[in-house]
Amino acid sequence: MPSDFYEEEEFQGQLNGNVFKRIGGLMRPHWRWVTGFLIAVILVSILDAYFTYLSKQIIDEGILAGDTAALQRILIQYGTMIIIQAVAVFAFVYLVGVLGEKVRYDMRQMLFNHLQKLSLSYYSRTPVGWIMSRVTNDTERVADLVTWGLLDSTWGVINIITAMGFMFAINWQLALIVLAVLPILLYVAYEFRKRILDQFRKVRKVNSKITASYNENISGVRVIKALGREDENLNEFKVLSSDMRRFGYRAAWLSALFLPSVQIISAFALGGIIWYSGAHVGTALLTVGSIQAFVSYMTSILWPIQDLARVFAEMQRSLASAERIFSLVDTPPEIKDKPGAIDPGTIQGDIHFEHLSFWYEDEMPVIKDLNLTIRRGETIALVGSTGGGKTTIVNLLCRFYEPKRGRILIGNHDYTDLSLQSIQSRIGVVLQTPHLFSGTIRDNIAYGRLNATPEEIERAARLAGAHRFISNLEKGYDEEVGEGGVLLSVGQKQLISLARAVLSDPEIFIMDEATSSVDTLTEAAIQKGMDAIMRGRTSIIIAHRLSTIKRASRILVIEDGQIAEMGTHAELLKLKGKYYNLYTRQFRFEREDAYDVFKDAAAAQPLEG
Amino acid sequence: MFHNSKGISDFDLRNANSSNRLLGLWRLMRGYQWDYIFATLMQGLSAYSKTATYLLLSYFVDHYILASTGKYPVWLIALAFVAAAAFQGFFTFLSGRSAARTAEGTIERLRNYLYDHLQHLPFAYHAETDTGELIQRCTSDVDALRRFYNDQAIGVGRIVLLFLVNFVALLQLNVKLALYSVVAVPVIVVTSVYFFKKVSAAYESYQEQDAVLSTTLQENLSGVRVVKAFARQPHEIEKFERTNWEKYLRGKKLLTIHSLFWPISDTICGFQMLAGFMLGALMTIRGEITVGNYLAYAGLVVWIIFPLRGLGRLIVEMSNGLVSYDRVFKIIKEIREPLDDGSYQPKTDIRGEIVFDHVNFEYTQQEQVLHDVSFKIEAGKVVALLGSTGSGKTTLVNLLPRFYDYTSGKILLDGHELNTYSRRYLRKHIGIVEQEPFLFSRSIRDNITYGVGRDVPQEEVEQAARMAAIHDVILSFPEGYRTLVGERGVTVSGGQKQRLAIARTLLKNPCILILDDSTSSVDTETEAQIRMAMQSLMKDRTTFIIAHRIQSIMNADLILVMENGRIIQRGTHQSLLKEAGVYKQIYEIQTRIENELEEELSSAV
Repeated sequence: MPSDFYEEEEFQGQLNGNVFKRIGGLMRPHWRWVTGFLIAVILVSILDAYFTYLSKQIIDEGILAGDTAALQRILIQYGTMIIIQAVAVFAFVYLVGVLGEKVRYDMRQMLFNHLQKLSLSYYSRTPVGWIMSRVTNDTERVADLVTWGLLDSTWGVINIITAMGFMFAINWQLALIVLAVLPILLYVAYEFRKRILDQFRKVRKVNSKITASYNENISGVRVIKALGREDENLNEFKVLSSDMRRFGYRAAWLSALFLPSVQIISAFALGGIIWYSGAHVGTALLTVGSIQAFVSYMTSILWPIQDLARVFAEMQRSLASAERIFSLVDTPPEIKDKPGAIDPGTIQGDIHFEHLSFWYEDEMPVIKDLNLTIRRGETIALVGSTGGGKTTIVNLLCRFYEPKRGRILIGNHDYTDLSLQSIQSRIGVVLQTPHLFSGTIRDNIAYGRLNATPEEIERAARLAGAHRFISNLEKGYDEEVGEGGVLLSVGQKQLISLARAVLSDPEIFIMDEATSSVDTLTEAAIQKGMDAIMRGRTSIIIAHRLSTIKRASRILVIEDGQIAEMGTHAELLKLKGKYYNLYTRQFRFEREDAYDVFKDAAAAQPLEG
Repeated sequence: MFHNSKGISDFDLRNANSSNRLLGLWRLMRGYQWDYIFATLMQGLSAYSKTATYLLLSYFVDHYILASTGKYPVWLIALAFVAAAAFQGFFTFLSGRSAARTAEGTIERLRNYLYDHLQHLPFAYHAETDTGELIQRCTSDVDALRRFYNDQAIGVGRIVLLFLVNFVALLQLNVKLALYSVVAVPVIVVTSVYFFKKVSAAYESYQEQDAVLSTTLQENLSGVRVVKAFARQPHEIEKFERTNWEKYLRGKKLLTIHSLFWPISDTICGFQMLAGFMLGALMTIRGEITVGNYLAYAGLVVWIIFPLRGLGRLIVEMSNGLVSYDRVFKIIKEIREPLDDGSYQPKTDIRGEIVFDHVNFEYTQQEQVLHDVSFKIEAGKVVALLGSTGSGKTTLVNLLPRFYDYTSGKILLDGHELNTYSRRYLRKHIGIVEQEPFLFSRSIRDNITYGVGRDVPQEEVEQAARMAAIHDVILSFPEGYRTLVGERGVTVSGGQKQRLAIARTLLKNPCILILDDSTSSVDTETEAQIRMAMQSLMKDRTTFIIAHRIQSIMNADLILVMENGRIIQRGTHQSLLKEAGVYKQIYEIQTRIENELEEELSSAV
């Protein structure tokens, strides 16, 4: 579970006024709800203390006075209070619960919306698991703090105050005993809570390691068996699971010790009360009902104390969560529209790369002083070994990144003067690792043009050579692709993402190894479609397949961030240089693949060159 | 320390299996059962101490406040209060500790057992079982069992004991009062179970939507290039908002159920208590019970009524725990593959002469995978298997380390039947280099020495890495040999993984070697390096090559061409070229390709 890994990261949670202010800002739109649940919980809390007072009245004014009329009156009052409290309980549980969901909703949406604005550079340095954990775990924790945390602490404080109030009203000397014990109780409870929380954090950490262990043990079972490493593995795992038992046991042990400790401290106060009242019998200072009331107050005061301790112990974590959320929201997008960025209406035209340099990390240039002009409508093929900079060129052209030095002109505009929307909505990109979204095939193709008709979708699929396999599926275009497209092969996913780009009818067409996993036969079948797509469009293609490369009007061999060779297929072969080597090797490879005698007869037919 | 005596850690959990799931859970606790009984008893004593406090209060009021008939000094009574609380706390603590020891100990043993069990289950099991599902069972379901022991079963025990002890105390105070005080109990229990069933269902649906939301988010984050490339941010925001809103709605539903349950149960409990107070008060006024008794009653009745509200939650959760028991034991019931079952243990190192004698193999009764395979290979020679996917090459080599056992015929290793060797022995002496081997998320060094089974000095590791042509690559990683592989470390390409596996196999130094020879995903330079690395590995070892191309097997001592589980051609490169057949065809194609390339180049220029 990747999000587990990142749950506990960067733990700070300093008490910071600014963070409180911003959390307050989150709550401002819901102030009516907050007021509502606070009123409800204050009512509940006062009534809690009042019930104990009524129990005292039953004894003193009903039983000891032998007054059934008074008894009846008090009981009716008690009953009425039960109903009023039930209504108030309903109100606060509903209000605070639904408010919690609202706040979670707001925060998730706020984070998501901001994430859509962030640049690719942010994503390349931030693991997906980390971001996921912010949106899922941290929002949870902050929402809990501002709803249940606020509620519990309000309830706790009011409860203690009202109970103390009643106690002082009944007998101030005894109340002083209780008041003296109170801070000790709070302190002990808080210290316990903190330690328990700490143990649970350790438990969670080991737990995610255990999950990872199981995962490797199952996924790597072939290697494990082949190497006979079972015993060693088990010994390694035993260390983890014994840690888990130790931390889990300690957490449970501390929890088991927590309540008794607090109870014993309060029992001393109780003993004091008994001793005091026993010593003052007959002075009429203390009625039987009062003694009972004190006993009740003393036992029930433990609950608000526990709650307060818990909220405060958890607060630190919640504030750390809030800080992480705000830090994400505060991250500025590195690439955004300049003030006054324009939409020229079209981005057709020549593309110039002028003295282009780029690096992802300092001192490691990926593109070095690259100069290139791509004519409108031209098809350019980029070839060369992995890491040479081909994909970076595509990233720059799509403005996923911007040049560190030099500039890119599209139709005589420096493209940073144009709006992102105007560029990206007119470029069609097909990536090497095709990314599909859960949903149907139709949904995924329509991603290229959201309002496309079924006919348009089918036409795009035909051009991309995807129609055949789609119509062989049971539900055709309405077949689910599964999470991330797991139900389809990589080749099929590539065809769908190709269809998606075709449907978007772009002005500039970019393919990055877009059909690398498509089998040779299908590849041959989509040649015509590809021609149709590229006709009249500026196209940039990263490919290793010869049929695709040869179609280009110009071939660029990119090595070390520079253009090593450039020319037509024939020109480059004559050079007998890098392209020549690449070509001969690829030729052999593709032919072997095509002639594979083991494949069934149909596939063994050689393709026309 | 914990009970780590024999019998506790060696307990074979298969023996805890039972069709009665509660009995099964009881057996699973073996070695901790007394602890658990102790924990339950302590809950009872703790409940009793609590009750004692109220009885003491009753005594105190009757004999010290309302009369002066008390026999003990007041300070002793006060001390008794403190002592009762101390006992209560002490017993609660002891109970909690024993329950935790039971739960954590039982679950630790279960975790270890499952882990070991999984790595001993045969290939066939892993091939047809979903990884995610297995992990789910080993983590979530195991945790559900932990909670069953630690919280739920003991929690139910606590509530029941609280009820019983206090009810008995009430009966002693006054039978009529006691009976009137529990009339609403069935209503409370039934309401509580009913509500928590609803809550459980609502919570599940909430969690389901949470999974949907995570997927939507994850797909958006990992597909960020696509989103940006099509400028689909508004569409994505709208999509996320829909799932987000649905989660809000489901959360709201869950909360609505809660917000109804608590006030309703509060009201029922409240009026039950009120009725008790009324009856108790009237009885006190009539002199049927003492004032002290009433006080004790008012205190005790709270502990009878209110805890029962939680019973529903525990019962519903426990039933979920029982489902988890089934899911976990479905794995445990599977039969392990014995590692040490061989009757023959060679005195000296094996030489590596292998004879296949009319070997047949089938995974299931229906489909036979290998038909009548016979061949002989002398020690140190190279056998190459050529054939399409599904022709049986991989299955054939899988028989050697006894990943699967052949169905009929004979395989002889150095003259002894293969299945008289133990699996452990065979796997120790057979090295396998897969096309794209699995790497573990530990350091590069640990991956190279993984399973070598001895401490390997750094020089030896580097030596092996050099021979596998991976040393320089490793040095280019940020932390060299200590660099982590995987999610939190470097990404390693397929070709690099293969060379790491070669280095590992060099260190393991096996007598028999199985190589999956595929270099399709690497460029020319690395291909040559890998070929050299493989050559050094094959030296003096009986080698099986699963071949995809002819170049790599021209020097093999024996070439087997396979189709549909049969050997259709056999011989050396030279001899096979002389006979008409698949092999010759392949070779001719290679020649043809070269000619075509010539043609292509000349026509282009």
